[in-house]
Amino acid sequence: MRTRVLGTFTIAALALLAVMALVVTPADVNQQDAVRFLYVHVPLATLMYVAFGITALGSVLYLLPRTRARKWDLLAGTSAEIGVVVTGLVLVTGSVWGRTTWGVWWTWDARLTTTAVLFVVFLGYLALRRVSGDADIRAKRNSIAALAACIDLPIVHKSVEWWRTLHQKSSLLDEETFMHPHIHGTMYWTVMLGIGAFLLLFSWLLIHRYRLARLEDRLEDEGLERALAERRAEALAASS
Amino acid sequence: MAVTEHAPTGRTQHRRRYVVVGVVVAAALGFLLVRGLGNATLYFRTADEAVAQRQQLDGRRFRIEGTVVAGSVQQVANQVAFKIENKGVVVPVDHQGDPPELFKPGIPVVLEGHFVGETFASDRIMVKHSEDYIAKHPSRVTTVPPTTLPAP
Repeated sequence: MRTRVLGTFTIAALALLAVMALVVTPADVNQQDAVRFLYVHVPLATLMYVAFGITALGSVLYLLPRTRARKWDLLAGTSAEIGVVVTGLVLVTGSVWGRTTWGVWWTWDARLTTTAVLFVVFLGYLALRRVSGDADIRAKRNSIAALAACIDLPIVHKSVEWWRTLHQKSSLLDEETFMHPHIHGTMYWTVMLGIGAFLLLFSWLLIHRYRLARLEDRLEDEGLERALAERRAEALAASS
Repeated sequence: MAVTEHAPTGRTQHRRRYVVVGVVVAAALGFLLVRGLGNATLYFRTADEAVAQRQQLDGRRFRIEGTVVAGSVQQVANQVAFKIENKGVVVPVDHQGDPPELFKPGIPVVLEGHFVGETFASDRIMVKHSEDYIAKHPSRVTTVPPTTLPAP
């Protein structure tokens, strides 16, 4: 019921974002209308950091003996699933935007390369999650792999400062210019709205997928117990 | 009974193995990233650097970066000639093909190609846009900062 309220807010925020991004905001002095990619690409990229950040957090909480519980590993996996989809969308929107402004679909600069690595590494993590084994061993294995994969996350963020790239530097998370944003007027507030709207969408997806993951986990446990009970009954029937 | 006695050592062995695997994976990833990005640190040479290294770069394919000099653009058929500049060093460019839509004087570009004598023979132009986004018809903005080049 509560997620229905969240869903309603999400749809309203996305609708408002569409109006702001496509109608209200002006064209850019250099990029003209191509600047409107900003309102999707930047929120998606923010989501990518948030999603994999939650994966890292869940994995740490699982690995710490004091907070060890299988739900943290499930949360990490759930968030990574959404994160991989979002990263795919970041790469696609970035590629189309790059074609219209830079003139190329793709180039192997540091930002693009590290983001592609992030996508592939987390695909590998999702594949690893499906490898069978004892539930607790699996969860531990997942958590360690997730943390190794997350090493790339700060590298992606800092790539535009550490190396020369075709990709422009950060417009939002730049300490020096935090008070004097690179994005002007309504364009800035529309990016902020975009981040908010996409965060709502992410929360909605995360809650639903997490519930499903818990149910799957329970099904697996109960299925195992039922199978054990059946074997036991068979053994009893055979011995009597 | 023997099983319960052996269980703790088995566990610590397991744990140690995971730590070792984790460290190896992390080290391999780090190695790949550093090695792979070693080249990305030289994603482009600025015009002045390229001119300074022209001897070594002769005939080699690389990327060069500079600002398109105002009034230097001459387009003929599907070929365009212009000059790029960085730190006062000017490099003449011959480009084969159509420039991208946003190509114009005064903007930073990254080109792919090689030196032919003093001239840079380019076959790919990439427009490097800055992180500034400014309304086309600024009603509230009084001063428009120039599109800045990143510090080399």
